Amino acid sequence: MFSYNKRLQYPIDIKKKDLRMAKYLVTQYGGSNGELGAALRYLNQRYTMPDNRGKALLTDIGTEELAHVEMISTMIYQLMKDATLEEIREAGLDTNYVEHRRALFPTNANGVPFTVAYFATTGDPLADISEDMAAEQKARAVYENLIDLTSDPDVIGPLLWLRQREIVHFNRFKELFEYYEKKLRNGEITLERIENNINNLNNINSNSLYDLRKNNRM
Amino acid sequence: MYNYNIFNENWLRNMNTDNNLGMNNVVETKLFYPTEAYNSGNLYSNLYSQYKNYKPAVLTARNEKEQLLLELSRLSFAAHELNLYLDLYPNDETMLALFNDYRSETNALIKQYEGKYGPLSISGNGLENTPFSWQKTTWPWEDRYYV
Repeated sequence: MFSYNKRLQYPIDIKKKDLRMAKYLVTQYGGSNGELGAALRYLNQRYTMPDNRGKALLTDIGTEELAHVEMISTMIYQLMKDATLEEIREAGLDTNYVEHRRALFPTNANGVPFTVAYFATTGDPLADISEDMAAEQKARAVYENLIDLTSDPDVIGPLLWLRQREIVHFNRFKELFEYYEKKLRNGEITLERIENNINNLNNINSNSLYDLRKNNRM
Repeated sequence: MYNYNIFNENWLRNMNTDNNLGMNNVVETKLFYPTEAYNSGNLYSNLYSQYKNYKPAVLTARNEKEQLLLELSRLSFAAHELNLYLDLYPNDETMLALFNDYRSETNALIKQYEGKYGPLSISGNGLENTPFSWQKTTWPWEDRYYV
């Protein structure tokens, strides 16, 4: 189960309203490389990890990502606080206002709503952890783009901090990936799913070769 | 606002650890102290990667409440970083000992904070009297803790 801690993982204190920045930043809430996608992806993938290392790491990083969802949400909320309708219109957030008024709504920077397709879970631990490594790198790149788009130190501080978390998480996932890869190669653990995939792949290849020969196409 | 200001706080006095912790041939790594780690968002100096010429913000407190929250956030963050590490290297005794140091210091600070300023979690302290302080204290997205 989960329980709530009534504090942010890292403090957010944005004093200057900036609706355009809020519009960009929402992508780290509801975009394909955002914190919500990361949290739910890891917490969803953990059930089919082959040992306790993977189960523990995905649980703990997934939980931390929920704290990052709260940080990003807080930033968007503070950037938009007390915005007038005119300011909302000028920043292009009027299209968001139509459906959601001043509420937070997880979309990317172009307003495309969050989708569970971002979970990208295959059930194959090596594929899933590779996905997680890529996700951390993509989120790092997005944080750098966001830092480039602002000059407000109250915004840059938390973005730098969140960017650094992507780097740490990437390295932990990389270590886990290498660990599983080695264990698998040495036959120390069996990844049933991977073995099945390899067998299926062999069957498909030989069958199709057979079909091709039979039909005199090669 | 954006300068390093580390190793000068007296709450570090009890840290009997060296800044260059060997990793017993598990992973060669070096650790920041909790203050620098928390400012940077990274406990592991060998993993730290700077973006352009940006330096991490230096977080400071304006009053005792903020100071207590800042200190518990630093120690809690350091413990969390070690938690992620120990998930992968559960037999690393040095890191486990450091994790337990940070964890118990965090818990002591949380207890102290909750006694003075109200609960940080629903299973915490400071929930005995009306009005129900879980509901009464400021929510984190509204609170402006730091300058």
